[in-house]
Amino acid sequence: MLNLQRWQTIVVIAFTALAVLFALPNVLPAGLLDHLPGWYQQSRINLGLDLRGGAHFLLEADLRSVLNERLTNLSDSVRAELRKSQVGFKDVTVDNGRAVVVTLRDEAQRAKALEAIRAVDPSLAVSGSGDVIQLAYSDQDLFRRKKEVIDQSIEILRRRVDETGTIEPTIVRQGDDRILLQMPGIKDTTDLKRKINQTAKLTFHLVNEDIAAAGSNAPATLPPTTSLVPTREGMQQLRATNPKAWDEIQNANPKLSPEQICRRFQPQCLPVFKRVVVGGEDLDDAKATFEQQQGGRPIISFTFNAAGGRAFCAATRANIQKRLAIQLDNEIISAPVVQSAICGGGGIITGSFTTQQTQEQALLLRSGALPATLSIIEERTVGADLGADAIHSGTIAAMVGTALVILFMLAVYGPLFGGFASLAMMVNMLLVFAGMSVLGASLTLPGIAGLVLTVGMSVDSNVLIYERVREEKENGRSPFSALATGYERALTAVIDSNLTALIAGVLLFGFGSGPIRGFATSLTLGLLTHLFTATIFTRMLLSTWVRWRRPTELPI
Amino acid sequence: MLWRPHHLIRAHTKFDFLGKRRIALVVSTAINVLSLLGAFVFGLNFGIDFEGGIAVQVRAKEGTIHLDELRSTLGALGIGEVSLQEFGDASTALIRVQRQEGNAQCVANADRVMKHRAGDGWSVKPGPGDTGDVEFTAPGGLDAANWRDAVSRAGLTAQERQLPRGNTNIARIDMTHDQRAEWCQQVAIKLVEDTIGDKYDFRGTESVGPKIGAELMHSGVIAVIATLCAIAIYVWFRFEWQFGVGALIALLHDVISTLGLFVLLRLDFSLTALAALLTIAGYSINDTVVIFDRVRENMRRYKKMGLVELLNFSINETLARTLMTSGTVFVAVLALVLFGGPVLYSFSIAMLWGVIVGTYSSIWIASASLVYLKLRPEQLRTSEEKGEKAKA
Repeated sequence: MLNLQRWQTIVVIAFTALAVLFALPNVLPAGLLDHLPGWYQQSRINLGLDLRGGAHFLLEADLRSVLNERLTNLSDSVRAELRKSQVGFKDVTVDNGRAVVVTLRDEAQRAKALEAIRAVDPSLAVSGSGDVIQLAYSDQDLFRRKKEVIDQSIEILRRRVDETGTIEPTIVRQGDDRILLQMPGIKDTTDLKRKINQTAKLTFHLVNEDIAAAGSNAPATLPPTTSLVPTREGMQQLRATNPKAWDEIQNANPKLSPEQICRRFQPQCLPVFKRVVVGGEDLDDAKATFEQQQGGRPIISFTFNAAGGRAFCAATRANIQKRLAIQLDNEIISAPVVQSAICGGGGIITGSFTTQQTQEQALLLRSGALPATLSIIEERTVGADLGADAIHSGTIAAMVGTALVILFMLAVYGPLFGGFASLAMMVNMLLVFAGMSVLGASLTLPGIAGLVLTVGMSVDSNVLIYERVREEKENGRSPFSALATGYERALTAVIDSNLTALIAGVLLFGFGSGPIRGFATSLTLGLLTHLFTATIFTRMLLSTWVRWRRPTELPI
Repeated sequence: MLWRPHHLIRAHTKFDFLGKRRIALVVSTAINVLSLLGAFVFGLNFGIDFEGGIAVQVRAKEGTIHLDELRSTLGALGIGEVSLQEFGDASTALIRVQRQEGNAQCVANADRVMKHRAGDGWSVKPGPGDTGDVEFTAPGGLDAANWRDAVSRAGLTAQERQLPRGNTNIARIDMTHDQRAEWCQQVAIKLVEDTIGDKYDFRGTESVGPKIGAELMHSGVIAVIATLCAIAIYVWFRFEWQFGVGALIALLHDVISTLGLFVLLRLDFSLTALAALLTIAGYSINDTVVIFDRVRENMRRYKKMGLVELLNFSINETLARTLMTSGTVFVAVLALVLFGGPVLYSFSIAMLWGVIVGTYSSIWIASASLVYLKLRPEQLRTSEEKGEKAKA
């Protein structure tokens, strides 16, 4: 049967209309687009970095050092705990990248030693016999830790490279230990590297309670040991109530010091001693948890390395009932009151927090230093003008290619059949654009090449059908019957010949990255959608034409 | 009607394609052997995607580019082999520098970069011991801020776990040899920028470290093999095993001869070239499948016809569509070759060749293999006997 059933016709038309709808946001003016719903605005093709210009980095995290460092810390804690439980040991060493090895002085103390070790971390995998105890983290634990390191690095990178929130970088995990960072519109990578290296500075300071007790937010005179620092709350309030002042602070060059900000704009500020009690580089970890007793309030717990732990212990012992300000860059994110000496190598921050707030604060605390060294293993930058050149030549090649294919089809199959095939090919392009828009795929220069190839390949199926129709016509079939048999008999060849190209496209997608993936996307999508346009769509056009003109001979 | 359709070739042609199968066999074998030999003797011109190294596209700020001058300037830098080619127009060039090793020369280069970018007081030395460590020495005291700025200038990222502590002007960066080798690509880019930056604009830079290069090479080879096998298995599945083998031979022929083209023209074998290779594999089989489809149909219809005759008949019957389908893709790819710009050039040339050779191999390799693979042996025998009689 050549004729489509009514519902088939409706589906074809609806499908095409949907394609138009979803491809449309690519060409609508920005002013109009703003009034449309968000999900619809999102339906756009992104230009790949090779077309819009920008920087692409592949970073590799040095997880091995992280593990080694962690084992070193573990060996410190184990040593301390063994001493506390009065277990004699010859040595506690780190077996490179794998385990901590404890050698006991007396085998008889093994049980006592194991108990002490369990007090450090009950989840450790313990092995060895006699006077040797080997401690390792479980695979599960290592896996979780690796994921944490990468996730945390991604968060920190995002904070650093996109302070203003306007660049929309792509930062995603790749494989086990890699991070892909894509920054559109960036050409100066030295500047970008400086931003990546721009550690948020986290420090702990004591609050000068004598000055604070005086009650003035910005006292006129301060002792030389003390300076004023705005609180994060205060700054956010300022941003909400006085956006002009906020802009001024952000754009000031040279940057305003915290004290200058306090004096000029009067946000909520605290007088803190300039001396740093502990630096953020000594902070090992911070996480949002819940209090054990007292109704399980959300709290933040943090741990220091050995050096940080000692300094923190000394400072808290001497300053009970005073506030300890935690300063991140130029803001105080929190100033909890010291309740008791904190000597366990870590502590908790309590307050009236919501769960979300504790999570935010923990993240802020962690964003002091990147948890692992990241090295660049691949870097590609494309200048905006190079991207513009690529768009230009790609567009011309696509237009010329399309024109040549249409001319070719018109010349060989005449205005009617050639025209229908060309129309189907254009609708196919529309479908590809709509598909890429819905998927949010990136259009790259190889992707344009894929589109040009799709133009050439998508009329191929019509060629197969038309040639079959010619054959059937020569066999003496009536126009209607020739068309119907032609479509029916060419179908297996159409599907078989395209599936092989689809196989190649899918494998290419799996293999490739970046631009190559763009090529695989447009080619695969084009081949898939053309199975619809080259067969059903042209069949609809031709059957309508046959019913309308009732031809005695096919002009093919 | 404005114009009438033109048949590309007249109907019912009776070319004796497979009569020439021995000539085709000799020619194709020769081309393939030469391609493989060429690939082994001269090697493929691997781009940085697979080899690692750096590639920089520069445009002269004034006038045209002087390749000889550039070559001698960059050749003296101590960054190894530098290759230059004009890229698109006379004022643009593509500079390619071989993969950098993490050796002492690279640390010396880093020293020059630091002196140029951060000031003469800075120096970079290899660390003590046989690791990849490097030591940065500052002119004055080091604090976190100037340390970060300095390492950023040297192209290092995110080394803050190694922040110098206390009163010092030396910062040691712990690195393994492999990590240093990755960093050395960055050093080479900086050095090239410092050396020719006053006369040239940098339009785009790429650096691929040794690790990624090796990985891409590995997965590229796997991708090609997987694609060829997957397609052959599909054809086998849809037809008889002889068809699958015939398709695989034709695919190998197309892929190997395309590699030969890359050797002959010294085309850059990059990721896009690999994409071309896979696409050729996927596309060149199209014609083959169309012919096979017809062969199968005719086999059922003409049970008495000899195999060679039947194949010839089927190829002639499908000749118009074979030429047309290849023709449409050919003109589209031609547009890419002519207007697609320098980045796509290798890809487009390879595709153009792939379209032509794919059409050839559908007829003379894939279909001819069916004869040698003795598809339906009893039919083959009658066909051969006929041939003998005709000769006699």
